[in-house]
Amino acid sequence: MAPPTKHDWADDDELEETTTTTDLPPPQKIQNKDGTWTIIEYRYNDAGQKVKATRRVRYVVRREVVNPRVAERKTWSKFGDSANDPPGPALDTTTVGENIIFRPSVNWRREAKDEANDPNAQAMKDKLKDKKVKCRICDGEHFTARCPYKDTMAPIGEAAGAADLAAGLDEVRGASAAAGAAGPGKKGSYVPPALRDRANAGAGERMGGKYGERDDLATLRVTNVSEMAEEHELRELFERFGRVTRVFLAKDRETGLAKGFAFISFADRDDAAKACAKMDGFGFRHLILRVEFSKKAQ
Amino acid sequence: MRPILLAGHERALTQIRYNRDGDLIFSVSKDQVICVWFSHNGERLGTYRGHQGAIWTIDIDPTSTLLASGSADNTIRLWEIKTGKLLKTWDFPTAVKRVEFSEDGTKLLGVTEKRMGHLGTIVVLDIKPDVDAEQADEKALTIVCQESKATVAGWSYLSKYIIAGHEDGSVSQYDAKTGDLIYNLPIHELNQPITDLQWSHDRTYFITASKDKTAKLITAKDLEVLKTYTADTPLNSATITPKKDFVILGGGQAAMDVTTTAARQGKFEARFYHKIFEDEIGRVRGHFGPLNTVAADPTGKGYASGGEDGYVRVHHFDKGYYDFMYEVERERANKLAQAQAQAGTATA
Repeated sequence: MAPPTKHDWADDDELEETTTTTDLPPPQKIQNKDGTWTIIEYRYNDAGQKVKATRRVRYVVRREVVNPRVAERKTWSKFGDSANDPPGPALDTTTVGENIIFRPSVNWRREAKDEANDPNAQAMKDKLKDKKVKCRICDGEHFTARCPYKDTMAPIGEAAGAADLAAGLDEVRGASAAAGAAGPGKKGSYVPPALRDRANAGAGERMGGKYGERDDLATLRVTNVSEMAEEHELRELFERFGRVTRVFLAKDRETGLAKGFAFISFADRDDAAKACAKMDGFGFRHLILRVEFSKKAQ
Repeated sequence: MRPILLAGHERALTQIRYNRDGDLIFSVSKDQVICVWFSHNGERLGTYRGHQGAIWTIDIDPTSTLLASGSADNTIRLWEIKTGKLLKTWDFPTAVKRVEFSEDGTKLLGVTEKRMGHLGTIVVLDIKPDVDAEQADEKALTIVCQESKATVAGWSYLSKYIIAGHEDGSVSQYDAKTGDLIYNLPIHELNQPITDLQWSHDRTYFITASKDKTAKLITAKDLEVLKTYTADTPLNSATITPKKDFVILGGGQAAMDVTTTAARQGKFEARFYHKIFEDEIGRVRGHFGPLNTVAADPTGKGYASGGEDGYVRVHHFDKGYYDFMYEVERERANKLAQAQAQAGTATA
């Protein structure tokens, strides 16, 4: 259990700054001949020494040519039903829709079918290209979930384990596993929940594994997150790079404080790569974020 | 591409238009209000209130000072864009289905409905392109459509011809000065009404959309069909995109059949076709009802679509759109670049 008022080191850093700003020379700003500016500032470093920082800065004015008629119209005041609206889009009339991926292509029809609305599907497909569908129960060429024996047989190789665990019932199960076709006859007999789990291990695994599958493509692992962080803050931080499908911030169950790491899933891997490059080393709540692609769960 | 949803209307959209600089979007719907929006962020600049019936059509003069609207309350109204002030009302015996300013903004045409013993007509009004001027009451010209009523009409290049699309699927060309019929050609399938007519940038050719599930690219001078784009659904609107050689078609199952169809089956998508190769190159989903109108930004940055669902969706194209080229186009671009580079070295 953490103490109710936990001391945050980030807070006392700020305190120090406010207490030590005395008798420092004022900052100077000098224009140089070549058009740059020299800015000289003084501060105390961590050891309490006076530090002089000199920076040379060049100001660049970037001009954008805008149609003067368009620029003039932007200054028009609103009228009609919008007369009382503040500047900027009003929330009740203007919203931003979901991101639409639109890439013109000659054979878009085929591609649309292939992708089936899932940007990750293609990657998944590539991964699964060499693999053959193989049932874990009977070794047949169908999905385990579709196996005709799934209710009656334990997966291959696990039958022995199940037998070990349930000494009392192993004979029944073992017989059904071995007999296979004779299995359905035993269907009505009671199987304790612990053993039922065994039989359905395939489904259970898949559900757990679903996170892993979804994650490794466009999910970032963010570490060194402040304890005070909230999921929506992270979402705001990362949303600017693209559509965020999921934000998971690990929190302590008792204190409600963040544990210091989070996962951010993007809809598009390119966006994730961009976010990874930009956000690694970003200062967030006095901490330097570390962002990397999450590794597949073990 | 993140569309901006504009929810300023309570009923189905009927027409959307950009102004010539592409910074304003005007939308009208059956709920009797005209809305004007900034295209870059979807901010609503204002509304124009006064019509007593569903508004069918709208157009903006080339300088973006005047706005004309035609409505089911049997009027064409002229507004000052900047303030929303009503400047002039013209009364007609029947509803107005289409208005369009000529290229220079000195003339306005209106298409009136055939109803209650009145034949469908195309009227031309003289416009003084000045907010303070007194607009004339009289019609400069009236063309009566004896055979099939006109559903859409527009001004060709130099305001030389008036081109009209008819309810029976034909397209006719009138002399804009005298109102004489020059051609009337059965371009779309018989008795499949033409639902939209939009011009290319230079007004030498135009695109028509029809309920016969096709859109056609037609020259203004001799009504020659240049291209045909075939869709799998009745079309309500078609537009030509500047910058890229595409056309955008909008349509969908008719409003009365919609309740029985899912969004996917209803085909409520904007369809992009290549203007020259006539291939469909992509679709943009989003509306929950048929698309009643599509409009392309004259600067080529995006397009807006308005649906039976009452939403306007403004899209700004992203890089993939501009990068798309056919292999032959790419080769030609490369060749041109090479030739240019060679010319550059030769002069140097």
